[in-house]
Amino acid sequence: MRTGDGPASSGARPPVTGPLISLRGVGKSFKDGQVQAISDISFDVEGGEFVSLVGPSGCGKTTLLRLIDGLIRADEGEVLVAGKEPRPGPDLAMVFQSARLMPWRSVVRNIEFALAVRGLRGRERHERAMALLGSVGLRDFANAYPHELSGGMQQRVGLARALAVEPKVLLMDEPFAALDAMTRETLRRELLLLWSRRRTAVVFVTHDIEEAIFLSQRVILLRPRPGRIDEIVEVRLPERRWELDARALPEFVRLREHLWDRIRNMVREGAELEELGTAFPDAVPPPDPPRS
Amino acid sequence: MSEEGTAVRLGQPRAQKPPAEAAVDPDVAARARRRRSRERNLVILLRVGVVVFLIVGMYLLNARSGNLTMPKPSDVFDESVKMWSDGTMLRGLRESLTVLVLGFLTAATSGILGGMLLGGFRLVGRVFDPFVHALNATPSAAFIPLVIVWFGLFTEAKIIVVWIAAFFPILISTASGIDQSDNDLVEMARSFGASRFRVFWQVMLPNALPSILSGLRIGAAVATVGTVIAELQMAQSGLGGLLSAAGNRFEMDRYFAVVLVLMVIGTLITGGLRLVEYRFWNWRASQRDANR
Repeated sequence: MRTGDGPASSGARPPVTGPLISLRGVGKSFKDGQVQAISDISFDVEGGEFVSLVGPSGCGKTTLLRLIDGLIRADEGEVLVAGKEPRPGPDLAMVFQSARLMPWRSVVRNIEFALAVRGLRGRERHERAMALLGSVGLRDFANAYPHELSGGMQQRVGLARALAVEPKVLLMDEPFAALDAMTRETLRRELLLLWSRRRTAVVFVTHDIEEAIFLSQRVILLRPRPGRIDEIVEVRLPERRWELDARALPEFVRLREHLWDRIRNMVREGAELEELGTAFPDAVPPPDPPRS
Repeated sequence: MSEEGTAVRLGQPRAQKPPAEAAVDPDVAARARRRRSRERNLVILLRVGVVVFLIVGMYLLNARSGNLTMPKPSDVFDESVKMWSDGTMLRGLRESLTVLVLGFLTAATSGILGGMLLGGFRLVGRVFDPFVHALNATPSAAFIPLVIVWFGLFTEAKIIVVWIAAFFPILISTASGIDQSDNDLVEMARSFGASRFRVFWQVMLPNALPSILSGLRIGAAVATVGTVIAELQMAQSGLGGLLSAAGNRFEMDRYFAVVLVLMVIGTLITGGLRLVEYRFWNWRASQRDANR
């Protein structure tokens, strides 16, 4: 069991003094236990912190997000959000790789959907949705339908929908991976700006190492099959990163080199990257002859 | 063409409005319009040609083989005028439409409700699936003797026959539309904490509407067929009754006059439903265009 954080926390619902999200020895398998997706993962996320989960495919990044959101339950260990077992709802909001907007609803009505789940009604709901659209610069597109928007704009709507419910934790699953490079860059800066104003905790999944360093305060590097934590790295880059090109800073370069080294090590240790292993079977050197 | 024109356009502030209307060269637009209207006129012309061809063919066949093989189109026209003016056709039409509309409406309500049960509850769907398909595969005319024994020969019994015919296509497309709903959207809704009830009504059902509408279109076509079959096989009434009476007396001009009315009914019903489908789901049409 987890040791108490505070001195003698009493009462049915102790004040949350510990971390906002805490994972202890979490494991999860699929296909009736045949495939171990993640194993023995422990980390904490504080309130208002921006944490990235990075790693090659097959290391269970999305599984972790879904565990934190409470969409699935862990087989082993314990996931706590604000001291409780997470349930989809009030405290958490997800942004997906594709925007996942309902094509039959206008943009503003898509955002109102999330607010309706929270029990907001009528005028208040509409005004709140419009305000959020304004915050991502899409107020003029409120009555457009999702297919009329570009991919980047759709993703902004997805972000606005998640922020609309004022979550304690924003869970983002490779939200910019499907966008073109320029849009991606713009949205990263906008996300940082929004985060710096609201200070919602963010758990951001990506396979892009530079993106992870640019955005987060901490990078959690995972290794695949089963997904485990390889290393947790603090990012000591200045605040207000959206104002400058952090990529040129020595700290940025150092971190990038370091993380790539770790990934190269994973490959060398035999945890071959899934893409390389399956897509180009001939390109990978044959395995060592079996030793007895 | 003119450089002044482009300069003026570039000078304007960039419009931040949803439909991205590029400044179109009026010449290009006019040319495209002309091309489209030329094509439309050609299609109409060719359709008229087909009708003329059919009428001339009927005259030729009539001249060669006599009134029994093919009535003269002018006789069919005269007979139509007579039947419409003495009220025969109106009475038949009223009787047929009563059976058709009531049968279709009961099939639509029960089919959609049943489909919601089969598609919304996995267990129910899995249990009833083989039975539904077995009944659907049986020609509805096969049930007529049973319906006669149970319900008699008159309007109620005919409505039952139409219901049997139209119920299954509507049931099956509703169920499969709901069953195959977009998992990404369902997961999105669940991640915001939406209840099962809300997910069903606000995500799965609207997502299935295109499928339900096409089920209704098929159901309406099948219901038209079912109406005529019921009227031929059971107590003769309506347009089907007129059809069989004229056929039995070899009054081919009268017979053709009724067939024409049936054709118009079928075209109007399916055309109308297609229009509804298009109007309601233009987002879907534009999605198809975008994917092309």
